Amino acid sequence: MKEPTIVGFLCNWCSYEGADRAGDARLEYPANIRTVRVMCSGRVEPEFVLHAFREGASGVLILGCHPGDCHYKMGNYKARRRISLLKKTLEQLGIEPERVRLDWVAAGEGERFAKVANEMADTIKGLGPLELS
Amino acid sequence: MTGATIQAKNGVNGAVSAVLKSLKDSGCVDAVLVPTRVKSGETFVYLLIRNPKMLDSCAPLPPVMPVQGARALQSLTRHGKVEQTVLCVMRPCEVRASIELAKRRQVDLENVLFMSLDCPGALRTRDYVNDPEALDKRYQGILNNWEGDGLRPTCETCVHFSCEDVPVDLHVGLVGTKEEEAVIIGVSKRGEELLDKAGIECSEDVSAWQVEVEKARDKKAGNRSKVVSELKDKAAGMDNLGLLFADCINCHNCMRVCPICYCRQCFFDSSDQVRLRAEDYFAKAQARGGIRFPGDMMQFHLGRIYHMGLSCVGCGACEDGCPMDVPVSQVFAFAGDEVQKTFDYVPGRSTDEPIPTLTYEEDELHEYEDA
Repeated sequence: MKEPTIVGFLCNWCSYEGADRAGDARLEYPANIRTVRVMCSGRVEPEFVLHAFREGASGVLILGCHPGDCHYKMGNYKARRRISLLKKTLEQLGIEPERVRLDWVAAGEGERFAKVANEMADTIKGLGPLELS
Repeated sequence: MTGATIQAKNGVNGAVSAVLKSLKDSGCVDAVLVPTRVKSGETFVYLLIRNPKMLDSCAPLPPVMPVQGARALQSLTRHGKVEQTVLCVMRPCEVRASIELAKRRQVDLENVLFMSLDCPGALRTRDYVNDPEALDKRYQGILNNWEGDGLRPTCETCVHFSCEDVPVDLHVGLVGTKEEEAVIIGVSKRGEELLDKAGIECSEDVSAWQVEVEKARDKKAGNRSKVVSELKDKAAGMDNLGLLFADCINCHNCMRVCPICYCRQCFFDSSDQVRLRAEDYFAKAQARGGIRFPGDMMQFHLGRIYHMGLSCVGCGACEDGCPMDVPVSQVFAFAGDEVQKTFDYVPGRSTDEPIPTLTYEEDELHEYEDA
């Protein structure tokens, strides 16, 4: 069976570098994660997440700088509010909130990136595809 | 809390219109924004009234809510504050929606005063226009007994029908008052001053009314938890949601009549965001076997629930405006109650409470992080 697609929104200043670091170190992470570079996790409007679902994604990963480390000081705090709101809404509507994962990966954390990506792929595989149309 | 009894021999509307006249005559109010029956008789509009004579025919508590009051106030203050004092007479949900819009800087509350009334709910506009006379009678019965058939489902579950948690200046109490009587209360300091200047002495104890409000609220709260738990079985899960919204014809009326959905350019109207080229649709259909058209129905509803769930005041305008009877407003209550609890947010309670998505704490919400 085709692996369910996961869209990953990665912060330019940390997680995207982290993914690069994982690549440099030849760490493996699942190929069904499609990464999109954003300037900040705070840039990720929950509409993006719903749009990814509609376009066929079964999970969405949002990775930002660790709290306190945001390049723009507070983008990740705002992201946390929005994504919490989205996850709570999805949960209430009976859509597994685990399909959306908010996590923090620093620029040097290549290993952590690979770990998060692998965990997410396992979670989504367990949940199966999402049919939003 | 103290108030004054007002005689309502000619119905609530007559009594309140007399109060409005004395407020206008006292000179502390320059204009009144109030629902009024249209000449043809079958519906109501908001009028900005400066001529006191026109207040004779106003209908402060109409049986229907074809226009959400917050929308009327939004139009009035679109270019900024009003220079003269305007008293807006609205249902509690309309006041609360106005507060939510003010937080989004779509309404300017300077020089704006609010008067609300105990609201038994509204009838469906479509039912009303078909037979205004019969429904007027029915609504009178609902006002007398505080219950009756034909109220919109959303209204049956509304716990904000009085002035608690609604930042009004003046309030008219109706629940459990003697027939042909109502009480008027100066809720805010400004409200008290207004009544004082208009020569309405508020010295009566209103605790009997407060007790009745409590009782009515308990009943509505019971209705609400029942409806919400029933919806949990009917609405939760992708398949159920699909069935619930199956009748949606994508008219986006629910969005257009929503008082709080204010964006001038909606994400769902921006064609480049949600519409693809034909070859992309072909590729998607190839991958999935087949795809639904138009494809953004579910995204639209989920997006709206996400966007508006926190601020939804449960006015039911969306459901009233839906031509296909999709229970939009009830789904909002079902989803919104929980997210509002998560952020300890009561929409429309106070302009001092920021919209939760516009603020943050450094140490919070860790249960939603996966780190």
